[in-house]
Amino acid sequence: MERELNSTLEGRIQSILADALQISPNLITPDLAFGDLPQWDSMGHMEVMMRLEEHFGIEITADTIAQLTSIPAIRQYLTQMAQMKE
Amino acid sequence: MVASKLIITPNSPIPGHLIKEVQSKFAYVDESIIRAEIAPEGDAIVLYLRQPVSAMQRADLEAKVQRVVSSMIQGGVRPKVEVLEDYLDRPLPYHQDPNIELIERAELSQETEGVFSLGPLVTRLIDYFESRFVELANSFDARPYRFPALIPASFLGRVNYFRAFPHSLTFATHLREDLDIIDRFSQKAYCDEEGNLNASNDEMFAKVKTLLSPAVCYHLYLSLADQPLTVGNLVATAVGNCFRYEAINLTSLERLWNFTMREVIFVGPKDFVLENREIARQRMNHIFNEIGLAYRVESANDPFFIGEFRKQVAFQSAFQLKYEIRASLPFKGSTLAVGSYNYHQDFFGRHLNITLPDGSPAHTGCVAFGLERIAYAYLAQYGLDSHRWPTSIREAI
Repeated sequence: MERELNSTLEGRIQSILADALQISPNLITPDLAFGDLPQWDSMGHMEVMMRLEEHFGIEITADTIAQLTSIPAIRQYLTQMAQMKE
Repeated sequence: MVASKLIITPNSPIPGHLIKEVQSKFAYVDESIIRAEIAPEGDAIVLYLRQPVSAMQRADLEAKVQRVVSSMIQGGVRPKVEVLEDYLDRPLPYHQDPNIELIERAELSQETEGVFSLGPLVTRLIDYFESRFVELANSFDARPYRFPALIPASFLGRVNYFRAFPHSLTFATHLREDLDIIDRFSQKAYCDEEGNLNASNDEMFAKVKTLLSPAVCYHLYLSLADQPLTVGNLVATAVGNCFRYEAINLTSLERLWNFTMREVIFVGPKDFVLENREIARQRMNHIFNEIGLAYRVESANDPFFIGEFRKQVAFQSAFQLKYEIRASLPFKGSTLAVGSYNYHQDFFGRHLNITLPDGSPAHTGCVAFGLERIAYAYLAQYGLDSHRWPTSIREAI
């Protein structure tokens, strides 16, 4: 169940990043981080943050923006948020 | 001269922390605007106009104003304000507007909007501050550089400057290399009463390939572009003329179109840049305290244009990329940015292909001081009579 949830979450994150950065989902690797692709720059990062807020109905604070700089960090943060909601 | 006034109610109230930023952008909304004000509650905007406007012009103005407001405030993350130093409550001997006395004593002479020549007292004071900033640079054994006032358009394009700060650009051009054009210009060009240069047509001018430089450190990054930084890290320093057009916001020495900036620039790995930026701040803390400047160091953002404003400001705030040295202006109960401590992450390293020995992009940062502004703030705090100044400065000057 947990693996299924993670796999779904992974897919959603991949899709959000591809949309926000306007790149092919194939370029989104599981360990991708800020700066690995030219599109994931400061503007791209803020676009990702805004899309995550919209998609998951959350508010990401300025402190958190600086921490969510890789897919693993985003995944861990969203998992924690989901657990807190339960 | 104000000919009419237009009051606009923003579709959404402007939050208090954004009032100054939004107000400054109204300068670029329309040439008819002489002055713009936002009510403290953020629920009303007053535009003072050069001429009366028709209903259609009014609707057009209102639409542009609403566009500025909505693009700057909607969905914006409230920036985190972090104060690193606070000496604003230092007792000060002077509380008047120094401009009046500066003009009376011929220390300040306006050539055109945002362009001033400075007299001996202000010049000596600037030289003194310069010596202290050079002292900071020397403490890092910084390599000295001299950079031109012109900068290639291709470089600014490469670092996304046109997208981030289009409103403040100053273009440099020349007559096309054509004898007929040069002849015609020499015979027909004149300046009208408002100071506008009138030539027979714009086609006389060559395509813009260069601009007047908006920052000193850009020239260092340009000189390092597309090559490995074999030494691994670098500290450099330079002073130079910078140009940022600010339309109706150009006021006295507070906001100049053409100003002088001294920078100490760090290039290398992330830790090298961040550690040195912090060391520079601590060393400047001693210098500012010694000279008795009333100031505060707090997190800040660059004046991005409306399209990029929300995201870039949130990003700078989140990653603590910029801290401003804000000096007190006692006569108006406000502060003025006289310098900043900046970290650009690997932005220039990536965009300009400056690589470290391990092949990763270099990180950069700089400490920058506006020379006219710090002299102005100091005069606003201590006045023009040197007997009120701290002994160390009086003796040095």
